[in-house]
Amino acid sequence: MTEPGPRSAEQIHREFHQVWRNLPGLGTLSAVNHTSLGLRFMVTGAIFFLIGGLLAMLVRTQLALPEQDIISPDLYNQIFTMHGTVMMFLFAIPILEGLAIYLIPKMIGARDLAFPRITSLGYYCYLFGGLIIFSSLVLGMAPDSGWFMYTPLSSAEFAPGPGSDFWLLGVTFVEISAVAAGVELTVSILRSRTNGMSLRQMPIYCWYILAMALMIVFGFPPLILASILLELERAAGMPFFEVAGGGDPILWQHLFWLFGHPEVYIIFLPAAGIVSTLIPVFSGRPIVGYRWIVLSIILTGFISFGLWVHHMFTVGIPQLAQAFFSVASMLVAVPTGIQLFAWLATLWTGRVVFNLPMLWIVGFLIIFVCGGLTGVMLALVPFNWQVHDTHFVVAHMHYVLVGGMFFPLIAGFYYWLPHFSGRMPSDVLGRWGFWLTFIGFNTTFLLMHLTGLLGMPRRVYTYEAGLGWDWLNLLSSVGGFIMAAGVAMIIVDVLLHFRFGRKAPQNPWNADTLDWATATPPTTYNFASLPTCSTRHPLWENPELPRTIEQGEHGLTEISHGRRETWGSEAVTGKVTAIFHLPTNSWLPLCAAASLAVVCISLLVRVYELSIVGAVLAAVFLLRWSWENGAHPAMAPPSAEESTRDLPLHSRTHDGPGLWGMVITLMANGALYMSLLFAWFYLWTVSPEWSIPDQQPLLMLPLLASGILLTVSALDFRRITRHLKAGRDSGLQAAFWRIALIGTLHVGLLIWVIAGSSLAPTELAHDAVLLFMLIYQLFHSGLAVILTALQARRVHYGYVSRHYPYEPVVVAPFWLYTTGVFWLGFAAFILLPMSWGGAA
Amino acid sequence: MIAPTHPMQLVVGLILWSVWFVALYGGLSVGCAVAPPAEELGAANWLNLSLLVLTAVTLLPLLYWTRLCWRAGLSSQPGSTDRFIALVSSGVHLITAIATLAIGLTVLTLPPCV
Repeated sequence: MTEPGPRSAEQIHREFHQVWRNLPGLGTLSAVNHTSLGLRFMVTGAIFFLIGGLLAMLVRTQLALPEQDIISPDLYNQIFTMHGTVMMFLFAIPILEGLAIYLIPKMIGARDLAFPRITSLGYYCYLFGGLIIFSSLVLGMAPDSGWFMYTPLSSAEFAPGPGSDFWLLGVTFVEISAVAAGVELTVSILRSRTNGMSLRQMPIYCWYILAMALMIVFGFPPLILASILLELERAAGMPFFEVAGGGDPILWQHLFWLFGHPEVYIIFLPAAGIVSTLIPVFSGRPIVGYRWIVLSIILTGFISFGLWVHHMFTVGIPQLAQAFFSVASMLVAVPTGIQLFAWLATLWTGRVVFNLPMLWIVGFLIIFVCGGLTGVMLALVPFNWQVHDTHFVVAHMHYVLVGGMFFPLIAGFYYWLPHFSGRMPSDVLGRWGFWLTFIGFNTTFLLMHLTGLLGMPRRVYTYEAGLGWDWLNLLSSVGGFIMAAGVAMIIVDVLLHFRFGRKAPQNPWNADTLDWATATPPTTYNFASLPTCSTRHPLWENPELPRTIEQGEHGLTEISHGRRETWGSEAVTGKVTAIFHLPTNSWLPLCAAASLAVVCISLLVRVYELSIVGAVLAAVFLLRWSWENGAHPAMAPPSAEESTRDLPLHSRTHDGPGLWGMVITLMANGALYMSLLFAWFYLWTVSPEWSIPDQQPLLMLPLLASGILLTVSALDFRRITRHLKAGRDSGLQAAFWRIALIGTLHVGLLIWVIAGSSLAPTELAHDAVLLFMLIYQLFHSGLAVILTALQARRVHYGYVSRHYPYEPVVVAPFWLYTTGVFWLGFAAFILLPMSWGGAA
Repeated sequence: MIAPTHPMQLVVGLILWSVWFVALYGGLSVGCAVAPPAEELGAANWLNLSLLVLTAVTLLPLLYWTRLCWRAGLSSQPGSTDRFIALVSSGVHLITAIATLAIGLTVLTLPPCV
């Protein structure tokens, strides 16, 4: 696979740069490169962090002394809601995703992520969603129901202004970005590792990010669903969370915490990945217990989904059910403990160098262990009842999140700063920043445990003097400002280092992973040649690797074809099987995200006609995006040079990254559908006013006929795909048109069912859920038909054939999924209630 | 049957655990909604017994997979990916079994619907 050539390193760089560079000026907005976009994610996240921090300072100013009225109660509610929202949704997750987007290809020896345009779409969805949420604060109409938006406090009755709408629409927009990152990080880690990098040789950080990405895929859809349902309730009066209409406000809490608790680990795992990366480097030895750490990552990823009810111990759940979640909450400390002991053993047996990043790691170890211990205390139901909704919980949460995420993040930030900029930070300023932050943080939040134990409730804008909380709050506020001074010191250090920082040598910390084999700062293509890697510590075993990579002494150095390429490999062994060709700069992600922003804003201001225009525009841009794929001239048209290479381009195979991307996306989609099923069964069994209409509201025969047509289409599509894989493509275009036609009939019948039903979605939660299910089905069926019609056209243009079977193989699981949810929905929403004695 | 060195072994036990956990909590909720046992029976009632049986049935494959993967791991070539996957999977299955037992045994202590 090595393609030796006589070119010099400079010549190789020039040729690669020509293909991989971002466009100049405003054209940089069309960049799809992971290095540029990872940095943009991180810078945007850092700005939101400063905004969130400013809001925290306002909170601490207000609470510093009793009975102050610096901030009105209404504004205080907005401020603490926005502080939590900004920190959780606009800072913590995006900045960690940004770091992963920046690092993962470099660590696995790839030139980019598997779906660069999705990286770009994800960034713009995050940016626009964040701006929409933030604009509510500027306009003085920010959400004020807490970052968890509990119903009915956030419902139309108690929050009639647009604040909740800003939250629901903006956060959903941001979550599209998170899920997009989850899908592409998963596929990239599994399918684009460099040659020979098997699962057991992956850098440990990649295991953490793989777990995080999959947790996002399964953890975020419940909140996306909940947000859509609540927005539908607020805008259209569908009573999902209103008891009078057969809904239940506790359903929101279930859906929110189904997302919310895994989210804590979605934040913690990548941060722990930073810790597991840095400790071996500064200990000068491999990490102790690599296998144990992998085991604990996997366990954490699953068990953290079984804890959500510990946020709801006081809502009236049976004690036995509370015991399940109490034990599960304590069990999750076991894998975390395994990691902690592995870190301590590595430090114990290594020769530790206490450089600046290591200082932050030590801070993390101290604070996070304290946060973990109070977490175990909170897992105990009686203790939880006692301190519920007090400042003790606020203190615990900050110990876990600031200790478990912020400290490792800053450690990683200092560690990779020379990678970002090519310059070293100031040790003096950096240490001042650490100590001010560490002392300030503990002054603020250690004392807050006591404030909480003395009974001070959270989310109150002021308190009476003489309750024993005065001095604690004053000191907490002083600590908050000391911590702010520490953050300011870090900012000063970073700004100054661009001008005065010492030039970083190659691999300044003597790291072992491939990310330090790139130039610092890195080029847009990371590696001029892709090395074979059969060790966890490539740079320790071969310190010459950066030089030989730069000089093109390894694989995939051919660039005269003008395509962006990286290796595609087997998921387990890392053996290279294909060449992934990647898209170049594109405006389509920006245009699609901007159209979705129009949808979002027009829904906010309730101009629904405009939202339809935005949705149509977004669909046009996204379909155009799908058109420029495979053998399309803008991507990888057929060329004579292909036949001279050892490996096929992925679009000439039937096991490319698109298939994996589709399957992972459908997992996220399936998690959303399962959440809908959960909502249905929950309301059915728990809601006190749940009622079923006397008459069957749906037209049963057309619905059944519609399902049969859908099944026929899906089976036909599957048959065609099998033929393509076997190398047969006769009558392909006609077959796709036939499937699209049958699918259209199915869609037509489904529209008839919806239009002809006697559903009363604004009166009964039962009917509201049924209507939502039908529209969900209609959306998927319609999309399957459109995608199939596009395939037919692509056959006509020669982009799909037995030589290019890639795309139908990607679409096939979508048909299967659409058919699966139809019959699952039919069974759960219609047959089961009928068999139980209901009308529907 | 998934081979003990197949990467799906890394997660299959936990997928079973997830299904069991949902069935445990869902079964308890539906049982309490449909036919709640009398409070004075304490933990000795049909619902708790059903949940205990469910736990035992879940434990069996987890313990079997633990042993299967452990043996496969030890017989694989040292330093191979097969050995890595089998041994990690074995540990995952064992801890998952312990988690199942720890959570499941609570049905011996508390009445279900109070």
